[in-house]
Amino acid sequence: MRTELFNSYTVNSEKLWKAENTLYAFEELLDQATQQFGAEYVEIRAQQLSKTTITMKEGRAETAKQGIEQGVALRVLLDGAWGFASAGSFDIQVLSRIMQDACKMAKATSSSLKTPIKLAHVKTYEDKVKIKTAKNPAKIPIGEKIDTLCRINKRVLGYDKRLKSCTVEYLDVTGTSYFFSSEGARIEQDKIAVWSKITASAVQNGVFTFSREEVGSTDGFEVFDGDKPEVLGEKIAKRAVEQLEAKAPKGGLYPVVLGPNVVGVLMHEAFGHLSEADLTLSSGLLLGAIGKKIASNLVTCYDDGTINGAFGSFKYDDEGVPAQKTPLIKEGVVAGLMHNRETAMKFGVAPTGNARAEDFHVEPIIRMRNTFMEPRDCSLEELLEEVKQGYYFKTFIGGQANLDGTFQVGIQEGYEIVKGKLGKPVRYASISGNTLETLFKVEAVGRDFELSPGRCGKGQTAFVCDGGPHIRVKEMLVGGSSK
Amino acid sequence: MEAPNKEAMLSLAEKAVDKALRSGASEAEAYVYVGEGTNIGIERGQVTKSSKVIDNGIGVRVILDKRIGFAYTNIMEEASAAEVVSKALCAAKANKPDPEWHELPGTGAYSQVEKTYDPRIPELKPEALMKDALLMLEAAINVDKRVLPVEGGIGAAYAATAVYNSNGVSCFDKGTVAECSVATIAKDGNNVTPVCFEFSGERLYAVNPAWVGKEAAKVALSALQNKKVETKNGKLIISQFALQELLYYTFFNALKADSVQREQSPLKGKKGEIVASEKVTFLDHGLLEGGLRSAVFDAEGVPHQKTTIIEKGILRDFLYDNYTARKENRESTGNASRSGYMSTPAIEVTNFCVQPGNCTPDQMISEVDDGLLVYYLQGAHSSNPVNGDFSVVATPAWQIRHGEIVHSTRGVMLSGNVFELLKNIIGIANNCRQVGQLVAPWVEVENVRVIGHV
Repeated sequence: MRTELFNSYTVNSEKLWKAENTLYAFEELLDQATQQFGAEYVEIRAQQLSKTTITMKEGRAETAKQGIEQGVALRVLLDGAWGFASAGSFDIQVLSRIMQDACKMAKATSSSLKTPIKLAHVKTYEDKVKIKTAKNPAKIPIGEKIDTLCRINKRVLGYDKRLKSCTVEYLDVTGTSYFFSSEGARIEQDKIAVWSKITASAVQNGVFTFSREEVGSTDGFEVFDGDKPEVLGEKIAKRAVEQLEAKAPKGGLYPVVLGPNVVGVLMHEAFGHLSEADLTLSSGLLLGAIGKKIASNLVTCYDDGTINGAFGSFKYDDEGVPAQKTPLIKEGVVAGLMHNRETAMKFGVAPTGNARAEDFHVEPIIRMRNTFMEPRDCSLEELLEEVKQGYYFKTFIGGQANLDGTFQVGIQEGYEIVKGKLGKPVRYASISGNTLETLFKVEAVGRDFELSPGRCGKGQTAFVCDGGPHIRVKEMLVGGSSK
Repeated sequence: MEAPNKEAMLSLAEKAVDKALRSGASEAEAYVYVGEGTNIGIERGQVTKSSKVIDNGIGVRVILDKRIGFAYTNIMEEASAAEVVSKALCAAKANKPDPEWHELPGTGAYSQVEKTYDPRIPELKPEALMKDALLMLEAAINVDKRVLPVEGGIGAAYAATAVYNSNGVSCFDKGTVAECSVATIAKDGNNVTPVCFEFSGERLYAVNPAWVGKEAAKVALSALQNKKVETKNGKLIISQFALQELLYYTFFNALKADSVQREQSPLKGKKGEIVASEKVTFLDHGLLEGGLRSAVFDAEGVPHQKTTIIEKGILRDFLYDNYTARKENRESTGNASRSGYMSTPAIEVTNFCVQPGNCTPDQMISEVDDGLLVYYLQGAHSSNPVNGDFSVVATPAWQIRHGEIVHSTRGVMLSGNVFELLKNIIGIANNCRQVGQLVAPWVEVENVRVIGHV
């Protein structure tokens, strides 16, 4: 039965791609748009993905799900305006019809356009990207995946009687994506991602707590090797129980020490989004800021799509541009922005490989990849010892950025710092501030380093990593309900 | 666009269920979805893009000796449906039995729902949408030169669903929706406002793009002049956008039978008790005329209904899907929801209605001596989904003094707990509108921790 499952994928993929006429049809579609409609640029993104999703609640697999998602996205630039169409079909007649739609819509849009869109020139690639993993999730029987998730659940609920619920969500994606452009790009890329989110809640005398952890990788099922499921389960359970004793923090301005997990999301929310060039253009906060001091000298930050196995890594982005390591801040000075071909043209720079589309239903937009602050030289003790009264925020639950530079990061695990030492746990604090003020207040940077996987929402969901070392910030607005 | 075909969808669903039963499933259910939408996009002050998205698919749930499996595909052919059935069976065989599983829902008595389908929408040409997008854009720009519509758009879509199961459910419903929205900022030199937002969503093609453009611009403009506010416990008037965000991330989970049964809800065991101010009456109304989440039936084919959740402060009921209802030997409230053919049913609110009060928004403001008017929240999704603790940023918000709005403020933090907040509701206005799942007017609360910069 288990081999059957695997075979059915193989059969399916052959059915589609042995049909060489599909690839031939793509060439015809490109010609149709450029020759019949006069499109300046055309791209075809085709996807053929298999997904396995499992949702487990207290060891009961509520959902064991297998899905096939395949389809085509067509994007044309015609008279300076974008037209986009997508369909879950490889039928040439359907695709030809929606290509017409995309061209006609672009044409209609262009009539009102004041500033026509142009694309930065790029080298085009013909490439086949094969990913080799020790444990391709497509080859692992679903029963084994369920058993692995059961181990996480077992460790969480077995940790302490006060733990009442545990939800384990699991997703793996395997398949292939294709990128064809009228400029000659012909890229075929394997796609592999494994993701899991575990949440647990504990209850004691009417106090409810909650703890969450995510796993994400573009390697294979190796992320669950050995005793990793148990280690993960214990981490989540321990946090939920500790939080039972936690008190709400006092709101106000305090010195804070932030863990790598919080530093990552801070760089992502407080700075990363503002340096996505489309948002830079909208807010204007970082317009003309290249070369300007924006942060303390201790802050160096990159967005890197090339880290092996990291959740935000890939070889080519969804405009066929190779991923790269893009410097955003070097020693406090703005070093670059994240671009797609459209914004790169506007800024007169090269695209950085940040154009990503969640799937074929949507167009590529500028997204982060793996965003992090570089470590320096302090130990955690050194960071803590300078703080007389403040907070240590270790892990976050969510964050959000605003175009005026206001950021917010909700904290799931935090502690008081009293006279340089860690004190009692605090529950559900959050930190906020304005990027342009806060990054100058980074006064010490640790020597450790950790990347955490996450999912970023910007209309579409993107798999990313955020990270960095521990840092100390002189002063930050802490939201807490205690008086 | 082409109007969806009821017979073809039900027939595909029926074939999938038959195939599953013939292949050994003890029960089976097929959910078929057909949708198509057209969108016109605005970026930084101009219409730059348009898109058309066709999304069809089938999801099949099978039960095999209490083991549940699910599979889906977006290829709508009989052969693919058959492949999906065998994948679902594979998944079920690999799964562990769920002793709490009873059976799929049976057929129910369906009520009509009004104003959820506009035959003009499947016929709508992109040019008509384009005209309205430009109208919205101009309305925004004409308010003041300092306003920039950073992002927005207008779209219209239709969707049809068919649910068929081995327990007698066979139903079809179709709907349309039209939405337009614009996000604005105002800039004056280095002074950039936070993002402001306005939106109009209707089931019929009756959106008001000119109003959306103008309002979004006016709000951003009024956020230019700003001052810091002090830290204290204060009064808030919460608008629909902010209330929707807050309730979605802190409160709705506590109403779901799944959370209650799994001891994740502070409301467990509190039916019949006072859980909110006596001004509070909440209904979940899946049949609301023209409601954005209205439909004849839910994601399992169970009839939608009107459920009283809180009546004058007293907790009356929770929200159920078939699984959680059968566990308690009661009827589902028709709150199973799916985000398309790819997902299995999960409990969600439909149209969550806050019973309006008598005062107008202006009267509400005029009676506040010192407080904040909160339009938008940042970070609501980072709230504690179990205990209802929140710590969010209100940006921008407006300071009310002696019954008048005096200036805007940025980056002020609000901290508290939603279950305390519900008890601290002191006023409910009469300006109901729908934002997402929420149909509500402005709500006034007291004693919320406001963390300012002074």
